[in-house]
Amino acid sequence: MVAPVDKKEVAVNPVSSDDPAASKKAPAKPAPVELSEEDKQLKEELEMLVQRLKDPDTALHGPALEALRTQIRSATSSMTSVPKPLKFLRDHYAELKSIHTATAESANKRVLADIISVLAMTSSEEGSRDSLHFKLIGSGEELGSWGHEYVRHLAGEIGVEYEARNDADESTDDLVALAKEIVPFNMKHNAEAEACDLLMEIERLDLLSQYVDEQAYQRVCLYLVSCVTYVPEPEDAALLRTALEIFRKFERYPAALRLAAQLNDLALIKEVYESCPDSAVKKQLALILGRHHIFIEGGSIELNDLISNTNLSSHFLSLARELDIMDPKTPEDIYKSHLEPSRGAGFGAGVDSARQNLASTFVNAFVNAGFGVDKLLTDDGHKWIYKNKEHGMMSAAASLGMLYAWDVDGGLAQIDKYLYTEDEYIKAGALLACGIVNTGVRNEADPALALLSDYLTDKKNIVRTGAIMGFGLAYAGSARAEFVDLLTPALNDTQSSMEVVGVAALALGLIFVGTCDGEVTSAILQTMMERTDAQLQDTYARFLAVGLGLTCLGKQEAADATLAALQAVPPPFGRLAQVLVEACAYTGTGNVLKVQSMLHICSEHFDKEKKQDDTHQSIAVLAIALIAMGEDIGSEMALQTMNHLLQYGEPVIRRSVPVALALLCVSNPKLTVLDTLSKLSHDNDLEVAASSIFGMGLVGAGTNNSRIAAMLRGLASFYQKEPNQLFMVRIAQGLLHFGKGTMSLSPYHSDRSALSPVAAGGLIAVLVSCLDATNVLLGKSHYFLYYLVTAMHPRMLMTFDENMKPLPVTVRVGQAVDVVGQAGKPKTITGFQTHTTPVLLAYGERAEVATEEYIPLSSLMEGLVILRKNPDYVAAAPEEDKSSKYSSSG
Amino acid sequence: MGQGQSGLGGGLNGHAAQGSGRNQNDDKDKKKKKYEPPAPTTIGKRKKKRGPESTNRLPAVVPHTKCRLRLLKLERIKDYLLMDEEFILNQERLKPQEEKNQEERVKVDELRGSPMLVGTLEEIIDDSHAIVSSAIGPEFYVTIMSFVDKDQLEPGCTVLLHNKLNSVIGVLADDADPMVNVMKIEKAPRETYADIGGLDSQIQEIKESVELPLTHPELYEEMGIKPPKGVILYGPPGTGKTLLAKAVANQTSATFLRVVGSELIQKYLGDGPKLVRELFRVAEEHAPSIVFIDEIDAVGTKRYDSNSGGEREIQRTMLELLNQLDGFDTRGDVKVIMATNRIDSLDPALIRPGRIDRKIEFPLPDEKTKRRIFSIHTGRMTLNADVTFEELISAKDDLSGADIKAICTEAGLLALRERRMKVTLEDFRKSKENVLYRKNEGHPEGLYL
Repeated sequence: MVAPVDKKEVAVNPVSSDDPAASKKAPAKPAPVELSEEDKQLKEELEMLVQRLKDPDTALHGPALEALRTQIRSATSSMTSVPKPLKFLRDHYAELKSIHTATAESANKRVLADIISVLAMTSSEEGSRDSLHFKLIGSGEELGSWGHEYVRHLAGEIGVEYEARNDADESTDDLVALAKEIVPFNMKHNAEAEACDLLMEIERLDLLSQYVDEQAYQRVCLYLVSCVTYVPEPEDAALLRTALEIFRKFERYPAALRLAAQLNDLALIKEVYESCPDSAVKKQLALILGRHHIFIEGGSIELNDLISNTNLSSHFLSLARELDIMDPKTPEDIYKSHLEPSRGAGFGAGVDSARQNLASTFVNAFVNAGFGVDKLLTDDGHKWIYKNKEHGMMSAAASLGMLYAWDVDGGLAQIDKYLYTEDEYIKAGALLACGIVNTGVRNEADPALALLSDYLTDKKNIVRTGAIMGFGLAYAGSARAEFVDLLTPALNDTQSSMEVVGVAALALGLIFVGTCDGEVTSAILQTMMERTDAQLQDTYARFLAVGLGLTCLGKQEAADATLAALQAVPPPFGRLAQVLVEACAYTGTGNVLKVQSMLHICSEHFDKEKKQDDTHQSIAVLAIALIAMGEDIGSEMALQTMNHLLQYGEPVIRRSVPVALALLCVSNPKLTVLDTLSKLSHDNDLEVAASSIFGMGLVGAGTNNSRIAAMLRGLASFYQKEPNQLFMVRIAQGLLHFGKGTMSLSPYHSDRSALSPVAAGGLIAVLVSCLDATNVLLGKSHYFLYYLVTAMHPRMLMTFDENMKPLPVTVRVGQAVDVVGQAGKPKTITGFQTHTTPVLLAYGERAEVATEEYIPLSSLMEGLVILRKNPDYVAAAPEEDKSSKYSSSG
Repeated sequence: MGQGQSGLGGGLNGHAAQGSGRNQNDDKDKKKKKYEPPAPTTIGKRKKKRGPESTNRLPAVVPHTKCRLRLLKLERIKDYLLMDEEFILNQERLKPQEEKNQEERVKVDELRGSPMLVGTLEEIIDDSHAIVSSAIGPEFYVTIMSFVDKDQLEPGCTVLLHNKLNSVIGVLADDADPMVNVMKIEKAPRETYADIGGLDSQIQEIKESVELPLTHPELYEEMGIKPPKGVILYGPPGTGKTLLAKAVANQTSATFLRVVGSELIQKYLGDGPKLVRELFRVAEEHAPSIVFIDEIDAVGTKRYDSNSGGEREIQRTMLELLNQLDGFDTRGDVKVIMATNRIDSLDPALIRPGRIDRKIEFPLPDEKTKRRIFSIHTGRMTLNADVTFEELISAKDDLSGADIKAICTEAGLLALRERRMKVTLEDFRKSKENVLYRKNEGHPEGLYL
């Protein structure tokens, strides 16, 4: 609660920035020489009025007060200096106060109180809050008559007073009453931010919605929503709810629904969704729900289709056709090894061809993801799968899933034949592919459940791994209670390897992401207790912790119970799990205290001799990124923190910094981050190099960024003798061209405001596996990379008419501008170009409809948007018609 | 992978490949891979230096309006900085970096060798190569050592070269044109606003348009207007234009650059405009800053057809000034104050709104102001008891502030001549006559009325 001080500063400012001649001399020596004729006259008159007030004759008091009041009100002056009457009355402030106490209760006394209240603005001592006290015992006349500065000052004092009274447990009704006067005044005078601030300080945001009108509500809501990431819980939820109420009051259902989704309150989402009367808007709501992966039953078939993203694949393909990128790309098209600066004559001496094939598999899968055609797998009758060995075959078979992502029917038809092969690896891969195809789309027939459930308890560990992983991906975020029983056997089975256990925990975590489901957490916790220390030392054991963490994703304090339960798990692993769960619970909240505690963990030092385990430190580094990625300021500052960690950290910290850096700007190729990663990619420590190469891929994921491409080519030739690093370079190249540059892996959507828990879950799984890359990604479990599929999403903007027919319109696409708290109607985008939909939106870009003919039903132009014909549209209409109903709400 | 081997020859394929993303159909007949131009280097461009280094710059905080959101954001930054500080202190306590730094420095010094040559960076080829020239003559294509801060490299800067390999091993800080540095006011003038008699409205106007935008930008944002870029002060000689500018310089903590219009006229072609550019570049580097151009009529007169090269050069200097005031590049926190006593002869383009948003007139003082000016100037003089200024003030002469100062000084001198310790009214009368006589250049009063 430092806000009042800020306010105070605003109000007190005039004194300090007044020209020195006046402020220095006025209190020190009377210096009448300096005063001009008029000033002298004014001063004398004011003195006379004060004298008259001292007079016992009360008859004259009335006129004298009246005169004083007009003098003060009529004074105008430069914007930063104190009005003259106030300056001259400063000397008499104490006098006036004593007169006030001496006067008997009367109308005059109250008027005098008003005047003292105004004078207190400049004359009272710091922190005395005289202004407010005298206002409260004053005549209670209209506030605005004393000017804006006075209202501001009062608002500041109310905040301080409220806090003081709250501490002392006194009634605050009079303050609230005064606030009720101030808020409408602020609203009327373009000071929405101040009105919100005041209500936040007196904790009465519920009052806000009644004072907001059609003109102001967008700005108010924008302000409230921007504050959310910077206030501590539970205030953030209160802000969101207030904004949501306001949006509902003005029937902006899409915006309200987004906030409800941000609150993660299923009942509220349902309520908003069902309260919407307009069928076209409801379709738009369904699309938004689909993007958030939230399913609400009981609509028409059409709505259900929209919610369950059934047509995502066909939309994506039509976008691809529109952009003319349907032709499949081979890995070589991506590597462009002819451009690699050559190093020596020996081409790829000592290259591990299995590794290369594996890399090609992934690159092929990433690049052609969702397109359904490629040159490697489908072209030559699927021979490619047999060019791999063992786990490689599994990844190759699974890559089919990536190719047909979202296309459930088409994909399953292709995958089906591999389900019946003898080879267990291919079978596992095919099972995984089934899961991948179903990721992010929901099908009434539940094909994934039907296909996979039989294999969840398969004897062979590898088949089980594939099935469970696929299952987790297919139903990520669905939180269907019946799945607990399906997956817990794998957790509890002592026969299953740690890998299966880890994958099962991850699957549970993904399915019940952000629910804090008691059954799931207890199941995972129990597994942790039961396993031996040696098993918990296994690298896959950490996925138990990840699974546990995912169930509490973003739950903040609700995760405390789980954390407490983790106390019982013995240290090295228990510590790691605690850090991970805490990180997940505060993901995207920007909670500074948590960042601090993570930094404390990072500053511990361990003796190498004592063999202390320090893996939790690497998790802590990742945790900083996870917590800070929610808001711009935090993530930018976290980048600096990462630099310090690099400078001072132990090797284990240095290894995880690139991963954390990548997480801070997924699919957002920031130059500064790229510079750091590029430096680290030549590090002496090969593990640092490997993870920073992977980081470069993530940072550029789906952007086709030519700078990163060039860097990676350079790295490819630099590391041509290091198979591990070369593999990472290839993977990074594949990530860079994800979906041929049409997809984003960023867990944030809806104008970077909403975190998709499923996407975050997948990213966390991949990044944690990257922390021990040698054993997981570079070992046999490279298929963990497929967890990225939960995060992948086309960064497109497509427009439809009310019947869901594609409707190309011209849109302006440009860099988004933060317009919170700006006066007037500022532009929301800058440096825009005009395109016709469908278009791709890069990170930090925003679009707006360029014609007046259509009105978007969603305020945020992102993903799939329904347009409605503007009823007021006339062919050559003047510009002003634009401010229609749905044009630009927060 | 086999296809990649033919690639090296393909590099010569020219520009055909810009849009290679579209058609990746590798037909058998066109085996040759397309050339792809390398991503442009980020370093080695002339860039505007603005504020501290980009790496340790703090994120920008919007909105500028004072509100809780801004406070919260600023607090967030503070929190992170505190955490960083804590972390670093902890680490320094546990394992001091001093030795390591020392070691690294020794290593770098070894690599640098000695003595080092000084050269000029001509051009940057790519991230690790550059063309340099040294004073001896030949130009070299050399490598840039990896430990050189590439962000500081820009064409034309002075670099250190290795004595044998000539590779770039360091950058010497580059200073601006010494001419401009002279203009920077190191010692603030002693005149304050209190030394100005009258001119209240002028002071207020100049504060509003020059000082407040630098100290309280949020006031303007709240109102939704762009603060004025500059002001011009005009009025008859001796009315306090320069004095006011001095007071501004005294009052502000911003960088104050002052230049006289005639300084911008240089001997060689192109030097004048260059100086103007440098002036504004320095101003921007040290932003927030105020540029004061006195006697702007020296360069800013109306344009006309002229055959004299000198005239045209002066006009070009003005054109550069026009561009700097409101050209293509945005100026940051740079405010311009100009002063002239012949505003009617200035080029209209120079004083149009957008370049100079406010024109502040300095009239001859009225009676009240005259009295204040007299009292300011005689404040430290020993006056005889009989001295009253009513007579001097009420006379219908066109007395400017400077005239009044001259009268006071003259009166003092007269008293000194007669070895009196006090200045009498008679002295003032005489001195006024003297001053006015001189002012009218020897013509008796009223000849040309």
